[in-house]
Amino acid sequence: MMRHFLWKDMIIIVRDRSEMLVLLLMPFILIGILGFALGGILGGDTSTIDIEVALVNEDDREAGVTAFVDLVENFELPVEAKEELISVAKTLNPGLLLEEMLSDQELSEMIHTEEMTEDEAQTSLQSGDIDAILTLPEGFTYKSLEKMVFSEGSGSQLSVMLSDQGSLYAKIFSDMIDGFARNLNLETAIIAAAGEDTAQLGESELTGSNIGGIITVSKNAPANSMQYYTIGMAVMFVLYVAGTIASKAFVEKQQQVFNRIILSGMHPSAYLTGKVISATALAFLQLVILFLLSALIFRTFSLGSADFWIGMMIITLVLAFCVGGLASLLTSLSIRYETEGVSSIFTGGIVTLFAFAGGSFFPLTGMPNLIIQLGNWTPNGAAMTAYLRLVQGYEWTDLMSPLFRSVIITFVLLVISIIIFPKRRSVTS
Amino acid sequence: MLETEELSKQFKGKIAVEGVNLHLERGESVGLLGPNGAGKSTTISMISSLIKPTSGDVLLDGKNVIKDPGKIRRVLGVVPQEIALYEELTAYENLKFFGRIYGLRGKALEKNIEEVFELVGLTDRQKDIVKTYSGGMKRRINIAAALLHEPEVLIMDEPTVGIDPQSRSHILEMVRELNLKKGMTVLYTSHYMEEVERLCDRVYIMDHGRIISSGTKDELKSILSSEETIMIDLDRPYPDLYNDLKQHDGILQTMETETGLKLIVPKGSRLLGELFQIADRHQAKVVNVHVQTPTLEDVFLHLTGRKLRD
Ligand SMILES: Nc1ncnc2c1ncn2[C@@H]1O[C@H](COP(=O)(O)OP(=O)(O)OP(=O)(O)O)[C@@H](O)[C@H]1O
Ligand SMILES: [Mg+2]
Repeated sequence: MMRHFLWKDMIIIVRDRSEMLVLLLMPFILIGILGFALGGILGGDTSTIDIEVALVNEDDREAGVTAFVDLVENFELPVEAKEELISVAKTLNPGLLLEEMLSDQELSEMIHTEEMTEDEAQTSLQSGDIDAILTLPEGFTYKSLEKMVFSEGSGSQLSVMLSDQGSLYAKIFSDMIDGFARNLNLETAIIAAAGEDTAQLGESELTGSNIGGIITVSKNAPANSMQYYTIGMAVMFVLYVAGTIASKAFVEKQQQVFNRIILSGMHPSAYLTGKVISATALAFLQLVILFLLSALIFRTFSLGSADFWIGMMIITLVLAFCVGGLASLLTSLSIRYETEGVSSIFTGGIVTLFAFAGGSFFPLTGMPNLIIQLGNWTPNGAAMTAYLRLVQGYEWTDLMSPLFRSVIITFVLLVISIIIFPKRRSVTS
Repeated sequence: MLETEELSKQFKGKIAVEGVNLHLERGESVGLLGPNGAGKSTTISMISSLIKPTSGDVLLDGKNVIKDPGKIRRVLGVVPQEIALYEELTAYENLKFFGRIYGLRGKALEKNIEEVFELVGLTDRQKDIVKTYSGGMKRRINIAAALLHEPEVLIMDEPTVGIDPQSRSHILEMVRELNLKKGMTVLYTSHYMEEVERLCDRVYIMDHGRIISSGTKDELKSILSSEETIMIDLDRPYPDLYNDLKQHDGILQTMETETGLKLIVPKGSRLLGELFQIADRHQAKVVNVHVQTPTLEDVFLHLTGRKLRD
């Protein structure tokens, strides 16, 4: 029985050219575009990132610390407290911390700093030899410490000036410094030499957390951008299968084909089961096609490792069932309330939100925790985590928690959809 | 074999069908006639168990089928008012799918598909995608899909709406044949009087959710045995004349037609002379006058004071 439903749903979708476009062509093109364009930024091959930064140091660190110590001495405080403050000031010395950060082993592979005078730096920036100028202004150490330790004074501004070429790198750098400054409660002024555009690009699209992302996952071999976006786009576009199945179900209901099916004596729940199976099968096929195409054409995954592909298939199967559950819920809603709105709201908005929260567009490290948590509980987000861990060579046990989340999501979706779906044999009350 | 008892349906308090009693004997061809919104489709949906009645029963061979609709679903072939087909599939694929969900398989399925294609006269177009069909062809496949499982009772909800005369003629012919040659019981819903006159032995007339009259065609027409119809053709509409006649005590019903006026008057009333005088008074030019025995259309007009189609 179910086989006939599957056969029918498959033909209908395969014949629909716009559906095929959305389900296969679009994700494939996006994988190509995002994978190539953002290659190296996200990716594990950090060697391709090469940010040249001029460091203009107008600050006298020693003098700053000395002045701060003088300031502390003048307070009426117990001697122990004074000593404590002074030692904190010496270890928390912001200039020192910044220096340490920039010479960190991971970062120094990507960022090269060179001390220059203001004038030299400007000239180099104009000529495009460097991507950014980082300026430590006069009194930086003293003012920063004053602000950090006593929350007094106006603090000091670290300023970053960006070049207009290579703005993506420059932006990464400025975001990084911004993050650093925020950690220390400093104020920063990011001046974009290229004008407002550059600054805005960074505001909205790439945050310093991207870099953070690499650092945190780099314990294992990080996924490269092609792998990242193959997975990201695949888990995003597989959601459209659920929307498609639901919108076709709505058409069936509206055009009374649904009634005809019910009139054949079939129980409504069998109809819903048919939709789950069709969605699961379609989702599985779509994912397998996308992964294989990406492996063959973009050389994303090596075809040699059987273990890896068995893992891929298992995760894919779990995700496909989750999409089946999602299709079931959307179908139930569409039929119960007889509206096309359900599937169009889903495909028109919710998919994008899910994709964002699930990390399909960029890694979420550094995002508010709430978004990360929500993303973990989306069908695509849970699967994405599992895929990425597999690609990075995590242990199987590390894949269990996202897969388990997937199973729970599937279960919850199915239960809700069964509750919503009209239970009576005669369908309209 | 199939009957309804005081079948009623309200949609959110609004009455759609009220106290409908129908019965169909095996092998009968019965018409259900009524204007738009009369409640025909709602009645059919209740009979075929797609809608739960607010009150009343549906009986198949004396057994209540509302609680256990599975029984009646296999016996019935329902042709819905809307075209219920997959537009993206070919006609053949549609029938194959619907045949399969009725449990047909293999040779039996192929044989039935072939038969119904022949019946609806679309054998040579069966591999075409339904989307590419004309309205009339879709209607025919819509009927074919209801015949696949060889139902005992065929219920058709306005199966000829909006199609060309040839397709229509073909469908009527086919239904008549199924009824006469295969002994299939038919419930035919329509607001086309002439279709029902041609197809059905017995007729129910429905209006505002109620059965307002029923019987064989002759029985119904005999309602008007004491009346006759006068058709007056005029050169153009005369609204004042129409209003005048509407007020006339000797005329039972007055309505405008495409060519002039139609009056229902008591049989033997000598009105013609007076009618000419009234026409004269309005300086109306009478082109043609014609006295006829009543049709079902007239019966409907008599019963409701309205035309069947407006
Ligand atoms: N699902 C529904 N919800 C609310 N009202 C409905 C519903 N279905 C039908 N009705 C109302 O019930 C009445 C009867 O409708 P029905 O479709 O049975 O008429 P019909 O005789 O089939 O008319 P037509 O010739 O136009 O098909 C109408 O007033 C209609 O508006
Ligand atoms: Mg109707």
